[in-house]
Amino acid sequence: MEDPFFPVFLSLRVALTAMVFVVPAGIALAWLQASRAHRFRGFVDGLVLLPMVLPPSVIGFFLVWLFGRRGLFGHALNGLGVRLIFTPWAAVLASATVALPVLVKAAQPAMETVPRELLVVGRSLGLAPVEVFFRVVLRGAWRGVATGIVLAFVRAIGEFGATLMFAGNIPGRTNTMTIEIWSAYQGGDESRALSYVVVLTALGLATVFLSARIAPSPSRPR
Amino acid sequence: MRPHGGPSALRRIVARCLLALGVLGCSASCGRGQNDGNDVEVTVAAAASLRSALPELIAAFNAEHGRPTIATVYGASGDLRKRVQDGAPIDAVLFAASDPVDQLIKTGHVLADSRRVIAHNRLVLIGPKGGRRIEWNSLDAIPEGEKLAIGEPEAVPAGAYAKKALQALGKWDALSGRMVFGGDVAAVLAYARRGEVIGAIVYATEVVGIDDVVVFDEATGDWAPKADVVVGAVKDASHARPASSFLDFLSSPKARGILKARGFELDG
Repeated sequence: MEDPFFPVFLSLRVALTAMVFVVPAGIALAWLQASRAHRFRGFVDGLVLLPMVLPPSVIGFFLVWLFGRRGLFGHALNGLGVRLIFTPWAAVLASATVALPVLVKAAQPAMETVPRELLVVGRSLGLAPVEVFFRVVLRGAWRGVATGIVLAFVRAIGEFGATLMFAGNIPGRTNTMTIEIWSAYQGGDESRALSYVVVLTALGLATVFLSARIAPSPSRPR
Repeated sequence: MRPHGGPSALRRIVARCLLALGVLGCSASCGRGQNDGNDVEVTVAAAASLRSALPELIAAFNAEHGRPTIATVYGASGDLRKRVQDGAPIDAVLFAASDPVDQLIKTGHVLADSRRVIAHNRLVLIGPKGGRRIEWNSLDAIPEGEKLAIGEPEAVPAGAYAKKALQALGKWDALSGRMVFGGDVAAVLAYARRGEVIGAIVYATEVVGIDDVVVFDEATGDWAPKADVVVGAVKDASHARPASSFLDFLSSPKARGILKARGFELDG
């Protein structure tokens, strides 16, 4: 019998690792999209948000198609000795793909509400652009960004379909909680499935309460 | 109001949609109500390993007996067993192992006297064509990072047999963390066909007519588990009579010929 806590820690590890990539990339993308009307705005918007509207199985298909052993990039990576498919890194990539749009979607509108004049004032007071971003934009939009991070994290930890297709069900390696639920249920072991269902439901409830407390609202000062 | 004005056009569209929905709903539900004359549709839940033989068996049955229409649900036998227990409208089961059928008999979902072993299967170790050759005895020496695909042992009989074989060979523990579990035997085969794994353990019948995988090693010897194809009729099924005549047909010479051609082994 496998260690019953393994899927719990693996899920946490996978989701947190995904967030290491998602948080900086998501905030940067949100700011890119919020701050100026560049030529590729629509394209970036579409590309970033696509995983949000695509079914997980479609995302899984694309990931295998791109990074599978005979995939578009997977083949070259394989030559370099890098193998993603069937590894925890595949789970990280799947989770990051679906979590990124969640953060961008929450952070971008929050950043758009930061008054432009504040940025100009910041610049005229001698702040560097990076300082303006951290001290004006992030300070003004932190509720939206924080909500986005929380929601992106639960989306990451809840990823199932793409993970199953891309990372596979490898006990002791890629069996995250969601995969373990499916696997246990399929095998008729409902009590084992239930324990992870409870963990994920508790996490979901915690997220709902947490995001309700931090989400931006008109009645609350920023 | 103008005859083609916005609101009335909208109302017409809504009315049409509702009508269409009504027709759809009726054709779905009314169809079921008439399922007692010649129009019966027998539903058979079958192991994924039967997905190539069963359509041929059904065609042969229909050629001999005319109706009924036989609908098939394929999946992992363990998973299908659960669905029967959950009350899915299934009339007969064709599983890749005796265990799930026996469990259904024990829980009173399948009639004990309908249980029959219609064929046997063997395990083979396969891999992608052109891939590195491996053998049962060197399975624990597969290169770092390579994976072996087997069926999910709890739900997929081919996986349960594979686990049994690997345990008997003393390779199970060494392979821990290096086996990717497929949701049914078709998924396990697909892993090998796509070249994502170095090897896979499937039934011999899986590779009949498949040319992008090669059989590396057959499972022969005392350690090799014997896989039975076991059928049974679901108790209180809505189409018990046609279902049992189909199950009877599966032991006929005609059906045996088809199973044999598909690589199944037969008694007697």
